Amino acid sequence: MSFGLEFKKVKRTGFMLAFLSGGVLAAIVPILNMLVRSENYVGFDDSPVQILMNANWQMMSMLNILLVVASACLVYHIEYTDNAIQRMCTLPIKESKIFFGKVALMAVMCLVILLMEAAALAFCSYYWFELSTDIWMEVIKSFAYALLLIFPAVLCSLVIASACRNMWVSLGVGVVCVFIATMIPTKNFILSLFPFALPFQILSGTTENILRNYMIAAVIEILILGIVEVLFLKVRRSFE
Amino acid sequence: MNFLSLLGIEFKKIRRSKILFILNIATIILWLPSVFNADLNFQMQAEGISPESNFLIQGLMGMAWFMFPASMVVCTVLLNMRERSNKGILKMLALPINTAKLCLAKFIVLLSLGAFQILMTITMYFISAVVVSQTQNYNFILQPFFVFKEAALIFASAIPMLALFWLLSVCFQTPIFSIGIGLASIVPSVLMINTKLWFAYPMAYPFFVITAEYGRLASNLTTAQVELFPWIPVAIGITLLCLFISCLRFGKFERR
Repeated sequence: MSFGLEFKKVKRTGFMLAFLSGGVLAAIVPILNMLVRSENYVGFDDSPVQILMNANWQMMSMLNILLVVASACLVYHIEYTDNAIQRMCTLPIKESKIFFGKVALMAVMCLVILLMEAAALAFCSYYWFELSTDIWMEVIKSFAYALLLIFPAVLCSLVIASACRNMWVSLGVGVVCVFIATMIPTKNFILSLFPFALPFQILSGTTENILRNYMIAAVIEILILGIVEVLFLKVRRSFE
Repeated sequence: MNFLSLLGIEFKKIRRSKILFILNIATIILWLPSVFNADLNFQMQAEGISPESNFLIQGLMGMAWFMFPASMVVCTVLLNMRERSNKGILKMLALPINTAKLCLAKFIVLLSLGAFQILMTITMYFISAVVVSQTQNYNFILQPFFVFKEAALIFASAIPMLALFWLLSVCFQTPIFSIGIGLASIVPSVLMINTKLWFAYPMAYPFFVITAEYGRLASNLTTAQVELFPWIPVAIGITLLCLFISCLRFGKFERR
């Protein structure tokens, strides 16, 4: 029920349109890059997906994270303006259920934008590189990995947004977090475990050992953030 | 009501918004990596730039490329939400005040928040320069006049960008679009400064100016230099156009 309700709530806020246009914008990045300077990328030994990801992922993931932060602020902003959240709290459902409904909504939208980006990347490797059959597998694997690694950022930005009643505070904190993430070197394992820095990671060209570590870390972060939010809501409720 | 008292009221409105705290946190975080990796500044001497100038310029580049524009987007959200939540704007529009004046007063508040953040960045620079001078046994502190000149350059070049962000927040009623377009427009500025059309993209101005300064200070490095024509006329044109349209559009949605 919660997911359907959350879906209805964002219907007239421009949430869907923002996500779709954000996805299109990020998907255009590799295509534009190849149109303008394909000679810099074609003719190397690495796999096309790896070349394309190395060239474009920094900018694409940056757009994705900014989109996630802004929309997390929006989905909680519609609750806090005009005190809609108070009405939600009087209903016989747990407040944490609303949170997880919002997480599910954002997760679905992240899947949609990553699919769009994957399609763009597959198009680029088809058009500018020689297409081999294992490209599809590599694209799917890369974007499944990207989807898993963007979840901690989704949860973290929703936790921030649910904690701050004013939109500019949650957006400000989110922007500061993204700013921290841009300063973290992607090669440093410990520092890049910061939820907002994880989505900058690339699957291709990384050893299996490191991949496994990042995936385990992402799952642990998701669990921790979920528990933190549930506890936070309980504590806040008891002080209201 | 004269413009100054209107401005005073606008400043009062954002008094308890915690925005200064957020702007401050961002400036503190900006200088932390520079303090921890201070020894890297000595390696940059190969580019022909002195370590102390490198320390300042690297920090300012970090600020101009993402932190400063993104913080300003947050500030436009603040200025808008303050009025729209609890329908404060309706009360303001009911008063016998020129809406264009109200709009400009809010823009001046935005400019002051921008100036505040740049000033805080400079303050944090001096503090971190003192700390680094102690840890590295090398004088990292530059002439205050030079530092303030760089800061003023960034601020002046950011005015067209701020006018554009302000226009976005006035024109879009749904906050996600003004925030989304604002934040998304910052990302390609790194690419735009390398093209010939950089002067048509206000979001890239502060970063372009500071990168040009970097090229000027590092004798072995050539970066594109600022050419005043056609930049200045275009920048003034964009600023005036954005302010004009936002003054026209301000409060239109509420008065339907």
